[in-house]
Amino acid sequence: MKQAIYGLMLYVFLILPPVANLLESIMIVHMHMQMPLLVISGFLMARFFQMKFPGFFEKWNGNGVPGILLFIVIWSYWMIPRSMDEAVTIQMVEVFKFISLPFLAGIPLRDSWIKLGKIGRNITYVFFVIMFGLMAWLYIGADSQICNNYLEVEQKTLGWGSLAFAAFLLIYVLQLLFIDQSEFE
Amino acid sequence: MIKDRHNLIAIILVIIFGIGLFYIGTDGFRAFTAESARTYEVLQNKPEFPSVTLEDSHARTYTFDEFAEGKYVFLTFMYTSCTTVCPQLEMNMADVYDQIPSKYIGEDIVFLSISFDPTRDDPATLTKYRSYFGSDGETWRMARINDQSELDTLLEKLGVIVIPDGNGDFTHNSAFYFIGKTGHLQQVMDFTKIDEAADTVLNILDSEEEE
Repeated sequence: MKQAIYGLMLYVFLILPPVANLLESIMIVHMHMQMPLLVISGFLMARFFQMKFPGFFEKWNGNGVPGILLFIVIWSYWMIPRSMDEAVTIQMVEVFKFISLPFLAGIPLRDSWIKLGKIGRNITYVFFVIMFGLMAWLYIGADSQICNNYLEVEQKTLGWGSLAFAAFLLIYVLQLLFIDQSEFE
Repeated sequence: MIKDRHNLIAIILVIIFGIGLFYIGTDGFRAFTAESARTYEVLQNKPEFPSVTLEDSHARTYTFDEFAEGKYVFLTFMYTSCTTVCPQLEMNMADVYDQIPSKYIGEDIVFLSISFDPTRDDPATLTKYRSYFGSDGETWRMARINDQSELDTLLEKLGVIVIPDGNGDFTHNSAFYFIGKTGHLQQVMDFTKIDEAADTVLNILDSEEEE
């Protein structure tokens, strides 16, 4: 229960207008820090909902697939250049960001992850490696500005950041494949 | 079995939700960047060109309506200290200008480059800049808008986003704007597709003449 409170504290902190404005003023921080932190806050708060409504999660997310799909949908949505732009310019979209990332991405991720088998997890990893790779290609390769609220140089920075994410994930997946995990369990 | 069915329903719901979310978020898979969304929206709404006062390279001041007066206006936004996209934009505009038969120029259509950097782009600077692109200062004028609030309204209405980068430069979106005779925005064209833009303009002018 303690972690749910920490999650809530993190969430409230992230919503504070000065904090939100600061994080959103830099493109890479917006995407690779604020958004993951929102997911993490939901991830922590998930404990509360799991204890409060155990039946709901058991019934509708029994094998973890719906939850992880929802997580993927929400996360992918926020990777569209336009969503990032509109989160800054349109208030409704901003509100949706603060609701969707913790509650529709963070919570299902936690609930699904333990339920997913090895294969499900590996598919998810591969999906994200591909996705971050594509993002890197898009944001580094685009020779024009694709987000109106951010400079082109920030766009490039974001692209390299995504590439780093993809690389780290890939290394992790490779070690899962080639190192015998049972030795560490 | 019951549990599996619930899972299946949940999966289907999530997929439908996902498709709906992406559909709404991108105007029906049409606009994945805010720029394309802006162009799409502008073309749907056809906003009216707000009343602004221009000061051109000859230091003459007049309103946009006085300048356009029942003519089509081919419009770009730029600033003269720009070293990247603006020279390209103006070069391409010069190309379009050259492709329009001279019988239309000045009669049915006028060209205008508006600077959004009024502090630096005084008439002398504009005159110098104008000469680089073969703008004659009459049928193709370069002008600044001195009133900041007028400038902001205009940029906002036409969806031009200008961000100062702190080093005296601006990041901005670029396009050819085509204003109809009634002062409403008719077209936003890709400034890299010169021939396409010239054809569009010519078609409009030709069909007008036939009537």
